[in-house]
Amino acid sequence: MASRRRMLLKVIILGDSGVGKTSLMNQYVNRKFSNQYKATIGADFLTKEIQFEDRLFTLQIWDTAGQERFQSLGVAFYRGADCCVLVYDVNVMKSFENLNNWREEFLIQASPSDPENFPFVVIGNKIDVDNGNSRVVSEKKARAWCASKGNIPYFETSAKEGINVEAAFQCIAKDALKNEPEDEM
Amino acid sequence: MPKFQILQRMTSRDRRDDEPEKGKGKKNDRDDASVSWRKRKKHFFVLSHSGKPIYSRYGAEHKLAGFTATLQAIISYVENGGDNIRFVRAGKHQVVFLVKGPIYLVCISCTEEPDDALRGQLELLHGQMLVILTKSIDRCFEKNKKFDMTPLLGGTEAVFSSLIHSFSWNPATFLHAYTCLPLAFSTRQAAGAILQDVVESGVLFAMLMCKHKVVSLVGAQKASLHPDDMLLLSNFILSTKSFRTSESFSPICLPRYNPMAFLHAYVHYLEVDTYLVLLSINSDDFYHLKDCRIQIESVLAKSNVLGEVQKSVLDGGLHVEDVPVDSSLRSDSPSPHPGQGRAAIASRIGGPAGLLHFIYRSINLDQYVSSELSSPLNSSRLQKELYRAYQKLYVSMHDRQIGPHKTQFRRDESYVLLCWITPDFELYAAFDPLADKALAIKICNRVCQWVRDLENEIFLFGGSPFSW
Repeated sequence: MASRRRMLLKVIILGDSGVGKTSLMNQYVNRKFSNQYKATIGADFLTKEIQFEDRLFTLQIWDTAGQERFQSLGVAFYRGADCCVLVYDVNVMKSFENLNNWREEFLIQASPSDPENFPFVVIGNKIDVDNGNSRVVSEKKARAWCASKGNIPYFETSAKEGINVEAAFQCIAKDALKNEPEDEM
Repeated sequence: MPKFQILQRMTSRDRRDDEPEKGKGKKNDRDDASVSWRKRKKHFFVLSHSGKPIYSRYGAEHKLAGFTATLQAIISYVENGGDNIRFVRAGKHQVVFLVKGPIYLVCISCTEEPDDALRGQLELLHGQMLVILTKSIDRCFEKNKKFDMTPLLGGTEAVFSSLIHSFSWNPATFLHAYTCLPLAFSTRQAAGAILQDVVESGVLFAMLMCKHKVVSLVGAQKASLHPDDMLLLSNFILSTKSFRTSESFSPICLPRYNPMAFLHAYVHYLEVDTYLVLLSINSDDFYHLKDCRIQIESVLAKSNVLGEVQKSVLDGGLHVEDVPVDSSLRSDSPSPHPGQGRAAIASRIGGPAGLLHFIYRSINLDQYVSSELSSPLNSSRLQKELYRAYQKLYVSMHDRQIGPHKTQFRRDESYVLLCWITPDFELYAAFDPLADKALAIKICNRVCQWVRDLENEIFLFGGSPFSW
């Protein structure tokens, strides 16, 4: 189909609790940031319209809860996702180490048709904290992990300062366009 | 514990306020954050099992992606627990869910209709989708869970809004029966004979319709047409304007006949509201069906069927004022034929004993006949209210747990409603709220007798595919 029709993309955001998933989304959709931490319960949903290469996209963003007790929700939530965003906090080593679990958990539960090439994006968040002095995960280390998982695009962001957030989400649209399935009955 | 929190969180979440409203037309850019959208009394949503929007009655689908995601999360959460969500009450709103494989349908309503009635409406909405795409659409979701169905439904907006509108005026939507245009027996027979001829030449179904009423209908041997399919097919044709402008040949699925396959429908309007539908299983039958139509048209012209159809439309159907009663109930002389002799008694409001309206459904024929809506039921609000009352009555009479029931007499501030079900028919009647019970029952007997006296004119016999 050669039409310029709008595409709807289901985007799942995953990562440990407190890494800033909701803040990233709020910065991206509403251009707002709050220092107060409010744990997401279950999942939260937002939509954002973007334009990329003359195509209109509606991002349906599933902001999930990072706490373990909500992880049983996964199966149903992940179904039919177009992209998965893995978020960690560059100041917390554990949140980086857990990326592997999040990725595997997602692939098991969503069981996409082509897991090798399923579009992920990795975001290292909170680069603004303490001017980067409390950082424990180096960019090099993060990029190496992304490269080992089939060249996952990597972004470093500050949801607070709004740095790089837009670029990370543009990348999602780009990925989706690349993997656009053909509609046939 | 988390369950409750999840639901609460989802319904009370902060809304973004940075998107300006652009009001233009019904499908303007309203989303679930706008007050006007939230004030709508009855919403219908169709979404995919991944939460992607497919159809929304109000607002643009893509603007509601967050809302449909919420709906999917609720449905899937319950599904995860090995259960199915059917119904939620939230204050004055009812939320009714229907899961059809990979397609989820949801109605959110504050109209106080029974949830079974709303679920029936969701079933029809799903059926209408199958009319356009067949059930093989499910396979697209099996192959690709991300599948976005919206583009395949492009341009069918009017079909769905017209169907949803019919839930409040067309009794066929809850009776699962069809209705005929009143015609002299010989006229309907003449139409049936020529339709029978073309069916014998290899046509699967031949229908001559006037709006949503049947003039005549013939099916090939062993092929039977379900009243719901007729409803969905006629809604599809009547709400798609292009059918009016030229003869058309369109793939169409009758979900009750065969949900997996397309049939091919030749549609041609013979008069303003009178149209012919010929259904074939062959996709290359256009010219054959066109020939059939020419043949049918010439026979109908010769026998003046179309003239009779126009006359019947002008005369209208059964009027409660015409229910024949003996002198103890009314001094007027009865008029036994529909649409005749009404002028003399037009000044009276309603029928005998305060009868306002009735619907008679013949169980064997899968057909119903409904009296015309007239004073004092002449506003669309009152009519909608009456149909909703009937619908409620229908649901309570057919309740699987405590029913089915044989009779029901119910009085409220708007009507007396009376329902009577026998193995042969169902009668639904509305009377003035002050009507006397014994008298009302008597009148119902009269109505049934009257309908039986007129059955050759108001029902389709013999040619009916149900006799096969």
